[in-house]
Amino acid sequence: MPCATLACIVATFIASSAALAQKLRVVATTSDLASLAEAVTGDLARVETIIPPSADPEAFEPRPSDLARLKGASVVVRVGLGYDHWLDKLLSLHGDAAVNRRGAGYVDASFGIPLLEVKGSSVDPANRDGHAHGLANPHYWLDPVNAEIITGGIAEAGIRAAPEMAEKIIANRDGFLVWLKARLTEWEQLLAPHRAAPLIAYHNTWPYFARRFRLNIVDVIENKAGVTPSPARLAKLAATIREQKIRVIMHEPFEPEEASQLLARRTGAVVVTLAPSIGSVPAATDYPTLFDYNVGTLARALSAASN
Amino acid sequence: MFEDVLAFAALPLAAAIVFTGIHTWFGLQVLRRNVVFADLALAQISALGATVAVVAGHAVQSIAGYAYALIFTAVGALLLTGSRGFARSGRQEAFIGVLYVVATASTVLVVDRSPQGAEHVKKMLVGGILSVTADELVKFIALYGAIGAFHWLIRRPLLAAADNPDSGTRQIAFWDLLFYLSFGVVVTSSVGTAGVLLVFCFLIVPALVGSLFSSRIGMALVIGWLAGTAASAAGIFGSFLLDAPTGAVTVVAFAAVLVIAGAVRAFITAPAKERCRNRQLGFRVGGLLFCFVLGLSGTWVVIAPAGDHPLLAAIEMATGFGPERFMTSRERADYLEAGLIEHRHKGEIDRLYDRERLSRWQGDELAPDEVRRIGSMQQTLTEMGRGERFVMDYLRTRGRERERWYVGLPLATFGFIGAAAIAWRTRRAR
Repeated sequence: MPCATLACIVATFIASSAALAQKLRVVATTSDLASLAEAVTGDLARVETIIPPSADPEAFEPRPSDLARLKGASVVVRVGLGYDHWLDKLLSLHGDAAVNRRGAGYVDASFGIPLLEVKGSSVDPANRDGHAHGLANPHYWLDPVNAEIITGGIAEAGIRAAPEMAEKIIANRDGFLVWLKARLTEWEQLLAPHRAAPLIAYHNTWPYFARRFRLNIVDVIENKAGVTPSPARLAKLAATIREQKIRVIMHEPFEPEEASQLLARRTGAVVVTLAPSIGSVPAATDYPTLFDYNVGTLARALSAASN
Repeated sequence: MFEDVLAFAALPLAAAIVFTGIHTWFGLQVLRRNVVFADLALAQISALGATVAVVAGHAVQSIAGYAYALIFTAVGALLLTGSRGFARSGRQEAFIGVLYVVATASTVLVVDRSPQGAEHVKKMLVGGILSVTADELVKFIALYGAIGAFHWLIRRPLLAAADNPDSGTRQIAFWDLLFYLSFGVVVTSSVGTAGVLLVFCFLIVPALVGSLFSSRIGMALVIGWLAGTAASAAGIFGSFLLDAPTGAVTVVAFAAVLVIAGAVRAFITAPAKERCRNRQLGFRVGGLLFCFVLGLSGTWVVIAPAGDHPLLAAIEMATGFGPERFMTSRERADYLEAGLIEHRHKGEIDRLYDRERLSRWQGDELAPDEVRRIGSMQQTLTEMGRGERFVMDYLRTRGRERERWYVGLPLATFGFIGAAAIAWRTRRAR
């Protein structure tokens, strides 16, 4: 009899969990937002990503299967700021008001973020940071402190979609943020000896990361997205690297490495491959390991360069 | 900095000269065979092979990557040899075109399986000649030297095969296959460094320039080499001066060399009678085009003074005689003030940007609300700056509305009367 009761309780629990899990389906444009959505929803939701891991999000073009992925989604999370501008077209084709702009399940994760390098609300092709569209630099998830705002938006949308899960979602988010705060202290300590270290980046991906870990990104190699740097620019950068004793060039896996390697050969600086997103390198499997990898790799490279 | 400029330019220039050396020879044969787009087709088939290698997990520069590209190119060479059968019906170029588009579409489909495929395709197209290393250069010299020497030994049957497009004998097919196979090896090696676009230029432009001046293959080769070297030097040093991507500037430099060579051939080195006719034709066509452009530009100013007027803007910039001269004193004052305010806003945006950027690593970290305040001010100032620019555009349009009668109308009249006069004289001369 007690066995039967136990079996009945377990069956009821599994059934209710399955029912809850089916209730929420979160679709995020990038793997970074998907990882944060997973941290907030835990096993309450199925989280899917549109841009495949290790692809360049700024060169991504959606396919018909992505439209199908949006069907039945209770929450859609996007980076915003023009970074995933193609989502607007998908959402307008999709037609579900709940996940369209101003819908209960629509989350623009940039809302409330202290944005860097803000330009304006309209398109300006002559912007300086290499991003061809958008209001500000969009790589804000690379500051772990911003995870609090991003997860806040996701949690609110999740609760709107499934109010009965509110308690669990809030508990998940609180637990994740406490844990992330502790990890942030460790990461800050790792990079503390390299405060104000001058660096060169290939693409202007790292201002939020630099702000959090107090790094000085002196210049970027690619000052127009997708346009190969000119030899005059490379010569100027080589002079800057020597003048400011820059030892590390920050590179991303999907970027053309010729210019970075050329500068490294000419100046003796080291090219370090960092992950701008989860999945960009095999070691960055979720949001915390993204920082484990980036902070660890950069700290090791800077330590080796200063020895 | 000057040392860097020389260091960045020396190796790419040496590589470009090596590429010109081998490709001009192949280009002359391609022109004789009348299969200009065979290069693009082979280069694209080679790129398809390299893409398959990337998807299979091999680096493009690895032996496996090179082997993939080479195998695909060999298949392409076989197909091109087989296309000789179409030559008699004049459909060989069409077949080569089909090969090219199928190879390109297949590359896109294969790339679709690779997350970093878009970057790979772009690299195959534009290449990265600027980053060529000394080791790579030595390999190119060794490989192209060996192929060049081999071709020198078999030049007679190769040229005989090229000069007999209608022949379908097995012997000709053998020499064709040998030609396309070695061509494939060269293209596969060059595309990885110089990209499809630049390789096409190395192949066709010097050969075209050479064949403009001489029908003897030796002389055409020497002229082609000189033209290719001049275009490469102009492209690489031009990209320094213009601060623009090397590959794109070099392609434009090759086009400029072709235009100059065409002009020299037509107006200077052609036989006296032909030269005289070319000069007359050149003046008439050039004059007609110039007058038509002036006439159309002037008409466009009269019809739509608020539109884009690149020719008028160039004239205004050169003469300093702009629409502000046609504004009222009040409008001119507002125009100048808007320009000053926009400039001030830009300065303030830059100051805020520098303040935030320095705070990332200097002094105390800015509080999130302070960052938000800076962002909000930058956004506001940017939009206000755009507002001032809008005012300037509006006032410029007002100026142009008056300017059109003083500048646009005379320009249109002069252009069309000039064009009519040239057309009338040409007709009379006949």
